[in-house]
Amino acid sequence: MITLQHVTKTFKNGTTALEDVSVEIEKGEFVFIVGASGSGKSTFIRLLLKEEETTRGDIYVAGKHLAKLTTWKVPHLRRNIGTVFQDFKLLQDKNVFENVAFALEVIGKPKHVIDQRVPEILEYVGLSDKLNNFPDELSGGEQQRVSIARACVNRPLVLLADEPTGNLDPSTSVDIMRLLDKVNRIGTTVVMATHDQAIVDAMRRRVIELDRGKVVRDQARGVYS
Amino acid sequence: MARFESLFRETTSGLRRNGLVAFAAISTTFVALLLFGLALLVSRQVSLMIEATTGNVEVAVYLTDPVNPDTVDTLTGKLTDLPVVANVEYETKEEACARFKRLFANQEALVNNVDCDALPASLRVKLDDPENYAQVAAVLEGQPGVARIVDQSRFLDRLFAITGVFRVGVLMVSIVMLVSAAVLIANTVRMGLFARRKEIGIMKLVGATNWRIRFPFLVEGLVESLIGAAAAILFLFGMKVYFINPLYGQIEFVPWVTNGDVLVIIPWLVAAGAIVAVLASLVGMRRFLDV
Repeated sequence: MITLQHVTKTFKNGTTALEDVSVEIEKGEFVFIVGASGSGKSTFIRLLLKEEETTRGDIYVAGKHLAKLTTWKVPHLRRNIGTVFQDFKLLQDKNVFENVAFALEVIGKPKHVIDQRVPEILEYVGLSDKLNNFPDELSGGEQQRVSIARACVNRPLVLLADEPTGNLDPSTSVDIMRLLDKVNRIGTTVVMATHDQAIVDAMRRRVIELDRGKVVRDQARGVYS
Repeated sequence: MARFESLFRETTSGLRRNGLVAFAAISTTFVALLLFGLALLVSRQVSLMIEATTGNVEVAVYLTDPVNPDTVDTLTGKLTDLPVVANVEYETKEEACARFKRLFANQEALVNNVDCDALPASLRVKLDDPENYAQVAAVLEGQPGVARIVDQSRFLDRLFAITGVFRVGVLMVSIVMLVSAAVLIANTVRMGLFARRKEIGIMKLVGATNWRIRFPFLVEGLVESLIGAAAAILFLFGMKVYFINPLYGQIEFVPWVTNGDVLVIIPWLVAAGAIVAVLASLVGMRRFLDV
């Protein structure tokens, strides 16, 4: 599903965020990317979305060679990838339903599809009773659920999560992890960047550890360190 | 159609959000297009007056009544033999009458009161260089059948000089205004992009195409300029009705622009407004064109 071959990313100012990274992630896997701040976790995610170009090496996502993907095809790549962030990125002037529907509207899905899928996915993440609430009326955990619903409503092949529990307390974090696990069990490949040790240790999934841009550990049922 | 609804909802909310700047953009477009339309109408008025007074030729040779066909042939032959003459056309009394009726179609009283018999037949002469009028006059002076020779070029020159200055001036001002309108439209588009940068970030993440992201902003710019264009068109019609209509028939033998003339310039105003708006919106979005 995701293949990185000898990927190096050097920014214009000379800093090297990733150095000779080779990783193979199969369909349906759940992978943690761990490492200290500045170890290259976020760059890893941004490269998969083609928000950044590799300096050297090749990346394949969902069968597409990213370096050869023309600019106008990038949106179609992103429709196969759901994204979740630490800061939720919800629109404050839209309610829960509208926030999730927005993701379908802007890729041109017709109304009957939106009216069917949005309540469906909101029920899946456990927010059926909050459809008309606005983000500032929700707890952090609930907001992250909305953002996961938005990421999954178009049924992506891959879900990328960058520190999804970074702003949440431990017990809420556990709820969010249960939800991501649930998403993974229906076949979605999940890649999660985190430095939340407790969560990684509890989940016992594959762990890829980055240190100053290099893969220093790739362990099948790993712990944080 | 839900997708179109969502497209235009963004446009209207954008217009409301930057109300003041949008108003500035609309009113500048209005003034610019008003001046542009005015310049076009003045040109039309001038060419109407020129046609009425000169029939667009430099020398008019009026013939005595009744016209002898042989005289027409002889005179035409003499004229075409002259190297300075570019073209000679014979206008019969009937043709002169028809031209008169066409020019003053919106002044019925004038048309009804003029007896077509009073309009003389003439030879209408175009010269390679209007300065050579004297040569033509020398050849025709005193010939049988010639009533009067009129050199219209000097009058034409003066008319063109005066109206030319006016037309160029108004056009220049309207171009300056159009550029200001473009800058203001680009500015509203840029402010809209800034206000909605979070929304745009999410759109890019979930895989909205660039076209889908830019479209509402393009339409926003277009709507602003078209509102300005509509106001300019209404204003021009108003001016025509209040200032020109009372003049119909007031000054003898002067034709005035008609509603039809105003209608003809509408596509030009709309096109100018649309082009300016689209260019301005694209310039305003330039920095955001990358994925």
